[in-house]
Amino acid sequence: MPASFSRTDQGARLTRWLVTLPPALFLVVFFLIPALIMAAASFREPGEFGGLAPLAERGFSLDAYRFVFDDVIYAWILAKSFAVAGLTTLLCLVLAYPLAVLIVRSPKRRRDLLVLLVILPFASNFLIRIYAWMIILGPLDLLYSPVAVIAGMVYVHLPFMILPLYTNLEKHDPALLEAAQDLGAGGWARFWRVTWPLSLPGVLSGSALVFIPVLGMFAVPELLGGTGDRLIGNLIKEQFLDNRDWPLGAALSLLLTLAVLAVAGISSALTRNRGQT
Amino acid sequence: MRLALLVLLLALAAPGRADDTLHLYIWNNYISAETAARFEAWCGCRLKQDYYSDNEEMLAKLEAGAAGYDLLVPTGNAVHTLIRKRELLPLDGQRLPHLGNVAAAFAAPWYDPGLRHAVPYATTVTLLGFNATKLAERGLPTDTWALVFEPEHLKKLKGKVTVLNSQRELMAAALRYLGHPVNDTDPDHWRAARDLIVRAKPYWATFSNSTYIKDLAIGNIWVAHGYSNDMFRAREDARAARRPFAIGFAIPKEGAVLAVDNFVIHKSARRPDLAHRFIDFMLQGENAADVSNLIGAGNPNRAALPHIRPEVAGEPAIFPPPEALGRLEMLRDLEPKQRRLMSRLWTEIKVK
Amino acid sequence: MRRGVWLWAAGLATYAFLYVPLAVVVLFSFNDSELNASWVGFTTRWYGKLLGNPDMLQAAANSLLIAIASSTIATVLGTMAGISLHRWQPPLLPFLVLTPVAMPEILLGVSLLLFFRQVLDLTLGLFSILAAHITFSIGFVAIIVRARLAGMDEDIFEAARDLGATPWRTFTRVTFPLIVPGIVAGFLMSFTLSIDDFVITFFVAGVGVTTLPLQIYSMIKVAVTPEVNAISTLLMALTLTLIALALRFAPETLRKSA
Repeated sequence: MPASFSRTDQGARLTRWLVTLPPALFLVVFFLIPALIMAAASFREPGEFGGLAPLAERGFSLDAYRFVFDDVIYAWILAKSFAVAGLTTLLCLVLAYPLAVLIVRSPKRRRDLLVLLVILPFASNFLIRIYAWMIILGPLDLLYSPVAVIAGMVYVHLPFMILPLYTNLEKHDPALLEAAQDLGAGGWARFWRVTWPLSLPGVLSGSALVFIPVLGMFAVPELLGGTGDRLIGNLIKEQFLDNRDWPLGAALSLLLTLAVLAVAGISSALTRNRGQT
Repeated sequence: MRLALLVLLLALAAPGRADDTLHLYIWNNYISAETAARFEAWCGCRLKQDYYSDNEEMLAKLEAGAAGYDLLVPTGNAVHTLIRKRELLPLDGQRLPHLGNVAAAFAAPWYDPGLRHAVPYATTVTLLGFNATKLAERGLPTDTWALVFEPEHLKKLKGKVTVLNSQRELMAAALRYLGHPVNDTDPDHWRAARDLIVRAKPYWATFSNSTYIKDLAIGNIWVAHGYSNDMFRAREDARAARRPFAIGFAIPKEGAVLAVDNFVIHKSARRPDLAHRFIDFMLQGENAADVSNLIGAGNPNRAALPHIRPEVAGEPAIFPPPEALGRLEMLRDLEPKQRRLMSRLWTEIKVK
Repeated sequence: MRRGVWLWAAGLATYAFLYVPLAVVVLFSFNDSELNASWVGFTTRWYGKLLGNPDMLQAAANSLLIAIASSTIATVLGTMAGISLHRWQPPLLPFLVLTPVAMPEILLGVSLLLFFRQVLDLTLGLFSILAAHITFSIGFVAIIVRARLAGMDEDIFEAARDLGATPWRTFTRVTFPLIVPGIVAGFLMSFTLSIDDFVITFFVAGVGVTTLPLQIYSMIKVAVTPEVNAISTLLMALTLTLIALALRFAPETLRKSA
């Protein structure tokens, strides 16, 4: 920005406030404060009929957390949710990678079409995508099983893995691969030594885009899974909409939030190490 | 931008609340279409129904701030909770001339003595429905909870049994089978009930609150833990479809849960006048009889009895005789910490 | 070339994996069978049934109203956020704007439920859904607008200022016209997100106000008939059109912000 006079300086600062404040304020009110409320609610007692007990009456308490850590079942479900998220991410990677490579190797004109074809299924409501699997797996007798849950999770999140991978692979310099070939590297070696390491930032951001939402999902296990296939998202939903136990629900939500922040932190640290996409 | 604001204002003002509409939040299938139509014709107004399938679901939604319902149909324990939360409008006896039709046995319930807030509408018993033909073939008993809890019986029924997907109901059945009251709050008894359920679970097909009706009537399922009115419907459906088997249902000898569902008026009702008219309409004999004749529910209204079909009125699982009544209990709401423990046990049941 | 064939096969298999289930949904919306277990015959009566279903029409009306209102407001706020992120990078704004996009939706839904009920004692309904939708859409619009700005040549602004334009004129005559495609793409994206949102709406809708996804959800849970397929097909057609339009307006921008 060029040198400015003092009037323009004041004007610039005013502009900066006028433009930044409205969205910031909106998000503070409707995102930040609710998040803090949720954290605070986990330290409250449950109300007699549900909800939260009045602060004046019962004050703060660690009961919800004591209850969570008191029994291994909640840790077990959280671990299971991580496992499902991990497996889904892996499967998405395996399915997405060849497709992304295929798109990159195609002639430039066709690439846009191929990318569009990837995005279009994403245009359907995710409930519809789950419902599609209910139709397919029903007759196969695989409905309400862990297989169904994984299939649903992978299906819903696959485009999130394809796009970042593709965006990354597109930027690779074909000269590198040619050089590797000239140096005598076979097909697999070229992939493993050149393509894969370069694609890691894309792999990482795609993985984060799959792992994190899967951790919080409840609709897929609820519609496609059996009674034993519930994940942490289902537990949280139950506390609010079935059990009326808001402190416990808030405590579980806070733990999920910490888990997500940890994953996001690790992912972005790894990405920064290798240089951004 | 202006257009968007206009649209926004219209949206906020719009939601079609026609003035002459009565909003009912009720169990699925609890008022027959015929009855609803008769009421609409009689009062010259519209009846709009929203459904829930579990008292807990209804209470949770109300906790989340549901408003705009005139009438709810909660079970006794939920009525008690709503009264304590001061969410109900006291009833105006002047506007309910037919209130005297309520049978003496139901006129002073524990949850609302004096019927100041609630008017009993229908009763159901949570019991076992079964494919009588298949069970007879296998020499299985039909009058005990052991049918769903004991492996020696379950072995012959693997994959053909469903139980209710309701914490309180399933635990209540297990507690009764173990000889405890349904409202027992002893954590050790609860854990014993949980273990009983977990032991039986591998033989069960699934937990179901509503699909069991169809499955039983078609023959996919041979034993179902469910509500007496649903079993009644399954039996009628099977007969109508001329199935090669008969559906039966009976109250287990160890005891069971009795539910009394009541009309109550929510304090945020927009048309309490229409609500009162509706309740009085449903208190009249012929109208009250509908819920028994068409749905197979028990009836707390003595003016309805002459209008009820003999095969329904004579069905002991729907209109239990006095000695059976002694074995029936109504569920009471739990304290918050107890609810928490039960929900954890329920999670363990589901996950193990 | 053997590896080439394997790659093609894998790629095609993945495309098939993506499309076959949706094709099944569309196909079975024309199935003349209430149980929808196997194909019986061709009919369009489910679409007729849909259009005659008052709950469905109300849900569709609600969804459209909420989508228009929320994406308008979100686009305005999101554009401002995008400009601010690009020009001034104020502290905390990236966190505020991007976290709602990255977090699992259930956390947003739950915290808004707590906020509306506990702090505002608000009855859940249209307003709560509106606020929730705006909250998660702002981030998407901001990302798109920021990407668009990042792709522009800074020299243009220099040139405008050298020619004597005030900051306001620079904005209205230079900046704004250039980012309009991004703004439109952002609007279309938030519209799509709002129409399709399930999880967050599920928690803050309360009773009495349904949207199309909520309606579909209760249909799936209560009784599955081809009506569900029909509404799904219509919804797919709508969002497909919107995404195609969004891509038409700003293909580069959307690609860069992915």
